[in-house]
Amino acid sequence: MTSVAPQSQPHLTAPIDLTAAPALVAKAPPRRLGRTLYLAANIAVLAFLLTPIAIVIVFALNPTPFIQFPPVGVSLRWFEKFFASRDFMHALLFSLEVAAMTTVAATVLGASAALAIARGNLPGSRLIVATMLSPLMLPAILTGLALFQSYVLLDVGRPLWGLVAGHTLVTIPYVVRTTLAVLHNFDVRLEEAAQNLGASPVRTFFEVTLPLVKPGVLAGAIFAFIVSFDQFPVSLFLVAPGSETMPITLFNYLKFDLDGTIGAASVVSILLAFMVVLALDRTVGLRSYVKL
Amino acid sequence: MPATSAPRVNSLALLILPSALLFALFFFLPIGLMAVMSVLTGNPVVMPNVGFTTKHYARMGNDSYYLEVIWTTIRIGLWTTLAALVIGYPLAHWMARIRSRTGHALLLMAVLAPMLTGIVVRTFAWMTLLSDKGVINQILTSFGLITKPLQLMYNETGIIIGLVHIYVPFMVLTLTGVIGRIDERLEQAAENLGASPWRAFMEVTLPLSLPGILAGSLLVFALAISAYVTPILLGGFQIMTLPILIYQQISANFNVGFAAALGMVLLAISLILVIAYNHMLGLVSGQRGLQ
Repeated sequence: MTSVAPQSQPHLTAPIDLTAAPALVAKAPPRRLGRTLYLAANIAVLAFLLTPIAIVIVFALNPTPFIQFPPVGVSLRWFEKFFASRDFMHALLFSLEVAAMTTVAATVLGASAALAIARGNLPGSRLIVATMLSPLMLPAILTGLALFQSYVLLDVGRPLWGLVAGHTLVTIPYVVRTTLAVLHNFDVRLEEAAQNLGASPVRTFFEVTLPLVKPGVLAGAIFAFIVSFDQFPVSLFLVAPGSETMPITLFNYLKFDLDGTIGAASVVSILLAFMVVLALDRTVGLRSYVKL
Repeated sequence: MPATSAPRVNSLALLILPSALLFALFFFLPIGLMAVMSVLTGNPVVMPNVGFTTKHYARMGNDSYYLEVIWTTIRIGLWTTLAALVIGYPLAHWMARIRSRTGHALLLMAVLAPMLTGIVVRTFAWMTLLSDKGVINQILTSFGLITKPLQLMYNETGIIIGLVHIYVPFMVLTLTGVIGRIDERLEQAAENLGASPWRAFMEVTLPLSLPGILAGSLLVFALAISAYVTPILLGGFQIMTLPILIYQQISANFNVGFAAALGMVLLAISLILVIAYNHMLGLVSGQRGLQ
């Protein structure tokens, strides 16, 4: 059973039968059929994942005020309406502002915490990691509710710092995770070598550790930005009336209207997210940071 | 971390303090306050004499409406998890086994693209697809397959479709990691010994990916039962789930105590799931915890 050891190399040298992928159908069918069904199932899943996004883009460009399929033409009127809407523009800018502040806070706090966990020899580091990642799995709506109640009890109203603190809490896990992934993977001997060559711990930190963890921190920062920009449940409880974030404004609009403006707003959000992902892929590569 | 004997705490450990402070003030303290509020008769800041009470919890236990809401939430969560698993497994398997780097990058993009599109946007997309005059009904009508529009949303089915779309990427990413760690040569060995690809999958790959299935399912279930936007919009304000009820207690009734008690129920369910998830992932990846 020695070969059961987990091995991460995807490319093996052993002769591989490409048709060997298991088919998800009952009873052993001929291999070709199995392979076809396997691919068909996967393409269906991909269609399920991507169709809604395609549909939104179609409706943003659809000229009629009602949902119509097949579309009868192409128009940018909903984009004009979106960019002319003071509510939407206000919300978009406010969301960008909150996301920027959140990203800075989450990145500084999260990266520091990851360093402390990986290099500080803290006792109970597993528990600390689990705690710091827990906002990912504990319902964000509870974080919102708990913070809302505390702000009510302390009678502080709904301040901007309160909203940013809530967003920071739910975005910190991403930074901690990506930074820890890098810290776990890099060779501690590089730091030791620097110190053996006479560098002080501080200098080692700034000249060896920091440049090496930068990709992880950056990836985490980008995740933090996107998550904050799309954050809904925490904002639901913590935004002050009149200064709502983009998702909240979209949600309120959706309750009453289903015209193309919402499509245009969605496309702008999607484009923003895509630009960020492309930047992420270009700068640091996605593959190693999306382990869940 | 090297497992050298008795590591000393060093000055880098101090870097944990800002985060610890944030978590203490904005996470543990508020959740503690929520727990306290759930057993108080009123708001201690504005009311002079508040006492201890279990009435908020008693209200939940005595009124079948609230138990029904909790059960609806769990039921939607279970169906969402099951559907996400069935849909997500083939894709995760493909992603884990695909050889071409470009292919892998494209699949990853396809999985991440919905993830990076906000929840409200994706719910809107499903509304345009599933509503009475939506794309699906229009297409079916134009082909003469139906005369009356199908009721695809404003019911639990619509909610589940929307939730599956939102949470299937989490399932896929969890499963891909686990399936990727299974030695492909084990499947080949089974096939060389005469097993069909299907049998090799059922008897080798599937059992070995069980921890990933459990971890992904726990994650998706935890996320699905705490969803707010999708159930409220695709349920058309008709179907009540725990998160919707919690927000309603605040926004419509301002019953902070009862909202807190409902929150504690949701928290209890989630905590059990988080601990189970951590445990499962611990089994999969050895010592690295959630990461």
